[in-house]
Amino acid sequence: MKRTPKPDAVARPKPKPDAATRWKTTRRRFLIGAGSLGVLAVGGYFGLEAGRPLLVDRIEGGGAPSSPAPSNPNLWFEIKADKIIFFAPKFEMGQGIQSALAQIAAEELEIDWRNLELRQPDSQHGFSPTFMFTFGSTSVKDLYKPIREMAASLREMLRSEAALQLGADVSSIEVKNGLCSLKTDSSKTLSYGAVVAAKTGEWVMPKTPPALKAKAQFVSIGKPLSRLDAKSKVMGQPVYSMDARIEGMLYGAVARAPRFGAKLETASAGEAETQVGVVKVVLDVAGNFAGVVAQTRTQARNALKFLELTWTGGTSISQAELDTLVTAKAGTGVVIRNRGQANLQGDVISASYRTPFAAHAHLEPLAALADVKEKSIDVWVGTQAANSDESAIKKVVPGNRSIKIYPMQMGGSFGRKGSQSAAPEAARLSAAVGEPVHVAWTREEEMQQSFYRPPTNTLMQATLENGMIKAVQQVTASGDILFSIIPIPAFIKNTIGFDFGTLSGQFLPYDIANYVVRNQRIDLPIPTGPWRGVGLMPNVFALECFMDELAVAAKTDPLEFRLKHTSNPRMKAVLEDVRTRSNWASPTPSGVARGVAYCTAVGTFVAMVVEIRLEGKEIIVDRVTLSIDTGIVISPTNATLQARGSVVMGLSSTLLEKITIENGAVVQTNFKDYPLLTLKATPKTIEVHFMDSSEPPSGMGEPVIGPVPAAVANALFALNGQRLRELPLILE
Amino acid sequence: MNLMVNGKTVPVPDAQALEPLVWVLRDTLGLMGTRYGCGIGVCGACNILLDGKVVRSCQTLSETALGKEIITLEGLAIGEDLHPVQQAFLENPLQCCWCMTGHIMNAVELLETNKQPTPAQIDNAMNNNYCRCGGYNSIRANVVTASEIASSLPSAKRLTIRRKS
Repeated sequence: MKRTPKPDAVARPKPKPDAATRWKTTRRRFLIGAGSLGVLAVGGYFGLEAGRPLLVDRIEGGGAPSSPAPSNPNLWFEIKADKIIFFAPKFEMGQGIQSALAQIAAEELEIDWRNLELRQPDSQHGFSPTFMFTFGSTSVKDLYKPIREMAASLREMLRSEAALQLGADVSSIEVKNGLCSLKTDSSKTLSYGAVVAAKTGEWVMPKTPPALKAKAQFVSIGKPLSRLDAKSKVMGQPVYSMDARIEGMLYGAVARAPRFGAKLETASAGEAETQVGVVKVVLDVAGNFAGVVAQTRTQARNALKFLELTWTGGTSISQAELDTLVTAKAGTGVVIRNRGQANLQGDVISASYRTPFAAHAHLEPLAALADVKEKSIDVWVGTQAANSDESAIKKVVPGNRSIKIYPMQMGGSFGRKGSQSAAPEAARLSAAVGEPVHVAWTREEEMQQSFYRPPTNTLMQATLENGMIKAVQQVTASGDILFSIIPIPAFIKNTIGFDFGTLSGQFLPYDIANYVVRNQRIDLPIPTGPWRGVGLMPNVFALECFMDELAVAAKTDPLEFRLKHTSNPRMKAVLEDVRTRSNWASPTPSGVARGVAYCTAVGTFVAMVVEIRLEGKEIIVDRVTLSIDTGIVISPTNATLQARGSVVMGLSSTLLEKITIENGAVVQTNFKDYPLLTLKATPKTIEVHFMDSSEPPSGMGEPVIGPVPAAVANALFALNGQRLRELPLILE
Repeated sequence: MNLMVNGKTVPVPDAQALEPLVWVLRDTLGLMGTRYGCGIGVCGACNILLDGKVVRSCQTLSETALGKEIITLEGLAIGEDLHPVQQAFLENPLQCCWCMTGHIMNAVELLETNKQPTPAQIDNAMNNNYCRCGGYNSIRANVVTASEIASSLPSAKRLTIRRKS
């Protein structure tokens, strides 16, 4: 069949390090790239515990490495005559991570951060063989120190070599703005590129790590800089996985089961094969797969309707049954915290909180381009976890092909693109048709065929003594979060007994002497998984609404009640700060009320006050005040966007979002029945204040979403005495 | 058939006459600035200007654009000379930016008829597009910035939709 030519189809650039680079380990923790003339490359290998290098320490310890040594680094700089390239192993999904990491790198490298060319490595260069995730607000936190140490070492190597080339002593060389100059004679100046170009012989890394700058000396870290990726996006350049194109590519569409868990029973092409533009119908009943490849996306989708498919099995569960399953029962579940004597005697205050299934609703649906050849598979995909894409592709495309993943930027993800199937679907279709195939999901597929934030139910029970919390018993029931995406055998899941994804924000962060927490793992027939913050928002909704209820019972101001229950200085500081900034003590106008909520997550302390009013039965949030201690703020621009964005996404969940299930399928189909918060409903004032801190940076992607629903629910109680304990908050 | 896109006449296979414009622009013509988000006209990521008015390109069949002037995100800048609205979003970007085209197109249309919109007018004009990353306050601010940039330009360059000659 003749294919429509693509007049402007251009192969996407394939970022890769200098082909000739071979990596040599140094006596210290880093690796030096050797073998390329005119290039200096310095890198390091970071696993989950970043900054704890596996390789060199073992070699220095005098024995053979206990596990295979990584053959290449996953974070590195390449200095060439005309540019400095920074390969950062973290995927961009809107959080601005590449810019933040560049700000860190530029600091010790003594260059203008805009002069760093940032690249995402591909899966054959610079991927950790086991873990290469971007998740859990960990990127800046984990890479802050390693990047600075590596950049400082690189700078010192350049300084030493510049001294040699200028015939001067190292101590007489000043390094600034990517230039090495003689302090006494600024006409004697060499750029980094010139130093590297003129180098002969081997590079040697300094034996001891150079001292790192103190916070007061920072010129790049902490500055409100814009984004390195903004220009390409404002110009509409192709950077996302839905934009990936190569010559001769076709478009694929995949048939979906009518209910979760259903398997393909019979499949025939029917009239699909004769539809306009169809190149191939791909049916694999044993592999539970039916798809169409066509010349255009619309043709592929249209042809899908003509396939003759029958499905068998799966679940027919309804929402009412699910609600019953997800019920926290006193005294049940595994004990995950047991402090003091948490027997409840006397007047017990008790409340139960619920959160529903929710969709990620990232605006760029899943998409991937795969080019399967005889010996290789090239895949362009936006992903939070490239390694798991690789193994998913291996499972569905037989043969011993080398797989190379080129991570594209993501149009939002929020956990969704850490576990996805567009890449294996595209690979499967490409293998069948022998041409590159692009698959992009529709919004309906995203709404109905995804995995969801799991429903939760939290039962809180407590007693008070002299206005203080005496004992708390808590039972948290939740569908799976991480168990559903990590390949763990069922018996191990059962032995552990709870999904550790639910742990985020699960414990009251207050000084409570007698506290028992039980976790009930609910194994649901509906796919659930990570959603921004994993367990954080559902947990904090329950805990912080309950703190408010306890404060009322103790006849204490809710903010003061929280302060009375903590001795943590950073926690106290953000609560006191938000009290001042929100004018907490000042009376509100009639019809307006304030609510407070707090959480600690990923090392970040967040205190939030919201101001609300009602328009009919609609809750209007006019003002949000945030005091946040996230340690040193690397990029105030990105951190503020993360905070404001978390407030908006959190409010959307608080006021609007709910996925419901009937007959084993999702009821909602698209944004018309699953609306998101819009601009008009967004508080005009979202004041974000970061505490001045010299502590190392902690996470900013997730923590702020935690307190949003509780703050609103608490404000509603302050306004009209009504306690809503289920999300979304809907006034009857 | 021929479409008029960003000042150029471009051929599109007749077989695609009844396909949504968003896919023809993206997949056939390679103009990736127009984004798909929902396919039902709710999210606004696919906004384009059709004869100067914002339309959802996912709800517009190619043939209905025949004889009309299509302007996409790529058609706003002239070379490196960014449109004032693009300039505002460059200085104060959103997060993932997948939705950004829709907001930019809305703002271009708004400023074309109302050079200095009030906050309430901005809210009304910009309310029908989603931003899942939650950048709505940046969007509000960027419309104001764009209006200021436009008013500081010499009058010949002040047109918010600048047609390439």
